[in-house]
Amino acid sequence: MTERHALACFLRGLALSLSKPYLAVSLWLIQLLLAAVLILPISNSLHDLLDNSVAGSRMVANPEFGWWETVQREHPDLFGNFGELAAGLLTPEGVKSSQLPGLRGIGATAVSLGFLAVVLHAFALGGVFGTLREPKASLVTLGREGMRRFPAFLLFTLAALAAAGAAYRWIYLETGEALRGRVANLDSEGKALAITALRLIALLLTLAAIKLVADSVRAVWVARPDLPPISRFFAGIASALGRPARLFGVLVSYAIVTAALYLIWLWLDPSAGGEARFALVPLILTQQVFVFVRLFVKVGYYAGVSEALTRAPSPEYSYVAAPSPAPAPPESPGEQPASQLRSRREESLGLP
Amino acid sequence: MPSAKACAIALAGLALPASGLAQSSPLTPPIASYDISCRLDTGKKAIEGTELLTWTNGTARPADTLQFHLYLNAFRNTRSTLWKESRGEGREGGRIPESWGSVELLRMTLQDNTDLLPTLSYISPDDGNPDDRTVAEVRLPRPVAPGETISVAIDFRSRLPRVALRTGYKGDFYLVAQWFPKLGVFQEPGWNCHQFHATSEFFSDFGNYDVSIDVPAFYKGKVGATGRQVEERLSSDRIVYRFRQASVHDFAWTADPAYLVVRDKFHEAGLRDVDLILLLQPEHSGQRERTLRAARAGISGYGRILGAYPYDTLTIVDPPWGARAAGGMEYPTLIAAGTSISAPAAVLSPEGVTVHEFGHQFFYGLLASNEFEEPYLDEGFNTYMTDRVLAATYGVNHEYLSIFGLRFPLGIDVHYPVDANRRYFAVASRDIHATKSWKFRDRRTYGAASYAHTALALATLERLLTTNVMDRALRLYADRWRFRHPTLGDFIATVNDTAGRDWTWYFNRTFFSSDDVDYAVEEVTSTPSKAPKGLFEKEGKLVEGLPPELAKTRGYDSVVTVTRRGGTALPVEILLRFEGGKTHRTLWDGEARWTRFTVSQGPRLLEAIVDPDEKILLDSDRFNNGRRAEGDARAAARWTSRTVFWVQNLLDFLTVAW
Repeated sequence: MTERHALACFLRGLALSLSKPYLAVSLWLIQLLLAAVLILPISNSLHDLLDNSVAGSRMVANPEFGWWETVQREHPDLFGNFGELAAGLLTPEGVKSSQLPGLRGIGATAVSLGFLAVVLHAFALGGVFGTLREPKASLVTLGREGMRRFPAFLLFTLAALAAAGAAYRWIYLETGEALRGRVANLDSEGKALAITALRLIALLLTLAAIKLVADSVRAVWVARPDLPPISRFFAGIASALGRPARLFGVLVSYAIVTAALYLIWLWLDPSAGGEARFALVPLILTQQVFVFVRLFVKVGYYAGVSEALTRAPSPEYSYVAAPSPAPAPPESPGEQPASQLRSRREESLGLP
Repeated sequence: MPSAKACAIALAGLALPASGLAQSSPLTPPIASYDISCRLDTGKKAIEGTELLTWTNGTARPADTLQFHLYLNAFRNTRSTLWKESRGEGREGGRIPESWGSVELLRMTLQDNTDLLPTLSYISPDDGNPDDRTVAEVRLPRPVAPGETISVAIDFRSRLPRVALRTGYKGDFYLVAQWFPKLGVFQEPGWNCHQFHATSEFFSDFGNYDVSIDVPAFYKGKVGATGRQVEERLSSDRIVYRFRQASVHDFAWTADPAYLVVRDKFHEAGLRDVDLILLLQPEHSGQRERTLRAARAGISGYGRILGAYPYDTLTIVDPPWGARAAGGMEYPTLIAAGTSISAPAAVLSPEGVTVHEFGHQFFYGLLASNEFEEPYLDEGFNTYMTDRVLAATYGVNHEYLSIFGLRFPLGIDVHYPVDANRRYFAVASRDIHATKSWKFRDRRTYGAASYAHTALALATLERLLTTNVMDRALRLYADRWRFRHPTLGDFIATVNDTAGRDWTWYFNRTFFSSDDVDYAVEEVTSTPSKAPKGLFEKEGKLVEGLPPELAKTRGYDSVVTVTRRGGTALPVEILLRFEGGKTHRTLWDGEARWTRFTVSQGPRLLEAIVDPDEKILLDSDRFNNGRRAEGDARAAARWTSRTVFWVQNLLDFLTVAW
């Protein structure tokens, strides 16, 4: 048995993701279909506002500050306070649930889609984790595996979502509220920013822990069908607790690669400059290629988590060397020695 | 009680005429001059002081009372008018901390030692609030005759609140403003002395100030104030600074041991030299040049149009973190600006506030309008001028995204003056624009009407009059009313005199009204002309069929409908642009709710634009000002793709975290 480095796990996960491109394709399709709900309302509204407006020609290349302000003011039912909420998420004060009733129209639909995305995410993860363990799989496998594990995975996802919500409230919002007076009395803005950074780091670490525990539970749930559900659940948590550094390393690798992708995107900015840089169709294709690449990396992360939890390469993986020679056949068909069962468990999962 | 030393200084002051202590050459005859000695008690966050007020009745009527502003009493308790109106909300939106302030009168005597305190009463001329203590009145033993000068000696004790609204302390930082008993303005109708409101500023008479400030020695070199420092006296653990300034109507001072003191000089041919003193927080030291450049741009930009800044010094205060509510304020020759660690160069953060607060040296300082009753005369006029100076100096500002307190500029231009004043449009019709400051519906409409609406109304006027005429009007207004108390009527008269036409109608519609302005092109069609059908006369008979001269049709039939959606009618130009480059301009008086233009058998109409030169900056929706006959889907298609792309990313982010 060998302990692989986190980066190695992540890279192996990326390789696995590349070997099963239909996983990224399926995630991309799910996201595209979700976003498609908004295409028509957004498109219709924009065409209505811009097509015949003389300001439209100015807006081909660059956004206009005045246009956005005017749209929000003249059409409050289009977005409601969506922009305010999105910006609020990035402030030291954060966003409170009491602000949600201010959402309207496309803004409210976008948030509702977010909840639907979470549900579909649960389904997709069941499919992804299941498919990753199949030597030969296809899009059909993803659907089958996803549906098989949907109830359990939905529960895990909702539990993780609730935990993340609680973390946001109690680690970020409430600490901000409690420290408000003290922060205002600090002798420099730098210290105040440091306090915000500490709150943010605490929140991010907690969210990372929640995510890693949830992903470990999912991975173990798929890898250990031989265990009763409650054991699988706790085995998942134990796996996360047993290898926190390696799992965290995989997550950090994933975060770095994703952030790098966004930085490259923002640096290249294919949508800037109007038609002088990219015509509409190449622009859309570029955007979707970017999303697709990002989803490759995402699948790679989940495969990396599986790798990180596996002490030895999983025998199901086609690219892995064959397992050790088979033990002697059982004395009677259908009967397996206890030692063999244990051996397979140890191979597939590094239980403590 | 005031210290013996302070009393001695006050007594010495009683023996000297106030003008003798002040700047050698007052720029205007003093009405209310102050000789003050004060001592800061950092433990109690309090100031004990003595004040010698020398007041001349400049009106034609006798005065049998004196009325004083006691602004710090607004922070006395939650029953003050300030607390009631603000509902406990500070300038930056947060709660006002329960840190109380007050000013107590310990002695008030005339030069013949007549004690005035027994006649003191608190009055509430604005709202009748019996618990408000921000205006005090004393009865004089005999009326002060027109032209007569009296002296009043006052001992007072001021307790400072933690900074929440302009004045107070935070740690060792002090911005001491509205801190001493200050006389109201005596006018022909009587005293004009308003209470301290949540949305009002100040109004006082010009005079000469001579102020000695006694602070602990650790403030050595870290004290700034209105006027020029003329003396520094160090004892064992205390240090006394003395400042003098003639021909101003208020005095504020600041102290902070953390200040980084930067001195510079403004020099430009045709304008007066000015000593610049920048009191900067150390963590903002990287913004020193930006702030100084903005100050220089302000002195130059305002001076070129309104006449030179007449004082020798300008002190710029940078309040520390946690005391930003002291920033964005103006006092004679001293302004409180303010900035942040995160101030990217593309975002004109220290620049905007520095230019604006300097601009108040004109609109408030020299043109000392009544900020209570006509807040637009200082804030709005100054915002208009700020926008002009910023646009001329920096071009455009930029929108930014604030991420956990750090600002990141976005590639979105914010143009002066329209984009910078968009907050007006959101509340355009909620109040009559020319409203007394404390009678606005709320702080938001006060700000929108006083600052943004006035700036846009003046920018519109500039475009209607031409910049040259507007500049001449502003200069004449500044020359006529320098060191006086102008009103909007005075400005209107100045505009009329300069333009040679009566523009009162414009002010009636834009200031004394709550209506907004919005013109829109509702309809633009251009279709190939068709031959007429029906019965036509031929040789005296009605027959079916076209006469030959009508049978040949060519060109396009075009229809344009322009509507006035807003309540305010202003004359506007309408531009029709045809295929082949031909254009047609026409002026519409804008009085009716709509007008229609039809063109038969003309060239194909491409678009119609109302107000094509963008003169009517008060127009709340400029994006309906133009319409194309044929749609162009490019912008909408691109923005749809961009929006959907980011929605995809956002949805993915939502699913990554759990």
